Amino acid sequence: MKNLLYKEFKLALHPTCYIFLLMAFMLLIPNYPYYVAFFYQTLGIFFIFVGGQANNDVYFTTLLPVPKRATVKARFGVIIIMELAQIAVSIPFAILRNILNPLENQAGMEANIALFGLVFIMYAIFNMVFLPMVYKTAFKIGLPYVFACSAMAIFVGVAELLIQLIPALKTTLDTLNLRYLPQQLAVLSFGILVFLLVTTLAYLKSVTRFEKIDL
Amino acid sequence: MENKREILSVKHLNKSYDAFKLKNVSLTLQAGSIMGFIGRNGAGKTTTLKSMVNLVHSDTGSVEFFGMDIKTHESEIKQRISFAFGGVDYYLQKKLGTITNVYKRFYDQWDEKAYEDYLKQFELNPNKNVKELSQGMRVKYGLALALSHHAEILILDEPTSGLDPVSRDEILNIFTDVVDSKQASILFSTHITSDLDKCADEITYIKNGEILVSEEKDTFVDSYRLVEGSMDQLTENLKSIIIGCHERRGEFSGLIKSKDCGNAQDIKCSPADLESIMVHIERRA
Repeated sequence: MKNLLYKEFKLALHPTCYIFLLMAFMLLIPNYPYYVAFFYQTLGIFFIFVGGQANNDVYFTTLLPVPKRATVKARFGVIIIMELAQIAVSIPFAILRNILNPLENQAGMEANIALFGLVFIMYAIFNMVFLPMVYKTAFKIGLPYVFACSAMAIFVGVAELLIQLIPALKTTLDTLNLRYLPQQLAVLSFGILVFLLVTTLAYLKSVTRFEKIDL
Repeated sequence: MENKREILSVKHLNKSYDAFKLKNVSLTLQAGSIMGFIGRNGAGKTTTLKSMVNLVHSDTGSVEFFGMDIKTHESEIKQRISFAFGGVDYYLQKKLGTITNVYKRFYDQWDEKAYEDYLKQFELNPNKNVKELSQGMRVKYGLALALSHHAEILILDEPTSGLDPVSRDEILNIFTDVVDSKQASILFSTHITSDLDKCADEITYIKNGEILVSEEKDTFVDSYRLVEGSMDQLTENLKSIIIGCHERRGEFSGLIKSKDCGNAQDIKCSPADLESIMVHIERRA
């Protein structure tokens, strides 16, 4: 697995994945739908597969003395690492945003702990929709990305709507008030749990599909 | 590597697609030999080779390398073999050195000195990108990678397609050197029969997804004769044993089995070569 991860970072990882990490600075924008800053990394992941197609990555990988399922695991590994990196890099920007500008975000959720929980769920949805669809054929990637983006957009829209319209959620989740830290930590924990479970499910589904196809 | 040891055994492979079927494909490769896998485009060469290395899932049948089944010992087998479909056409923008640095990590038997030697022998510059290499050089780079992890079997799909005659000759010479120095055995597909005239020990011929024959090249070639004569010599009996009979301007030509030569007395018989055998057999269809 170590060697496959090395291969992923050395050959397969698209440079935009690193560039999109810098999109975390968007959390400094005073009024903004902060999910967007995290969305960019899914575009980077999409580019890994686009680059893979252009570079015959699947073919190269099949030459190597590793089982097919291991190649899927390594790809999931690099995707999870980049998603977690995006979240990790965003934390200092979220803190900085709230220090520099304690005013409310007029365009959506505050850059708070609950937001990070919701981002974990957004990434889980992306992983679940995009990756098993890609591994069904190993070459069709455009449509899966459209579906994944739509699913993420619906989730974000519904989450924002509920939080803005339901006073109890608005008060506890869309705030920087530390009084509601337990509620926000609960959302974060729930988000991490969903991310872990759903991504595992996405992996199992992807492996099953990839094992079946003829290359 | 001892001689006459069976190192690859394919038994009764079947695979159905909507428009094509691989039917009961069986063949064996002996250590220390070069097997040419011939057939026209679309005959099933690539599907067979891909089934051997588990890239295509056969419906039934088995493939064993060194006595191990590919379905249960894939990683172990891939440590000891190498396969390529065409030349190196992956990561075209990357330097050879970068690809090698990734590739070599996966092989227990990687031999850095051998790799350096092959780079020199094949005049490959590790600082060049793959896309800067000619087709022939890409095939050589693939061979350098395969031989540097001491692959015992090279499975190559159309390695010489698209190469100029000089590059083809170079690649075929490398094949014979590799086998003669007992480094590896080779199974390669081609539709260029002159490649096989130069270097193959054995021939496996596939047509419409079925193996017509798999045997020593000389035996195979010797089992056919070319015949020609005037139309008045073409009796019904003769017509029935001629393969791919061609009639033109009062003359006929065709192929017969050597064992049928007795039925073609007074007809001009001459030795056949692989190309004429293939052309006549395919013409029969």
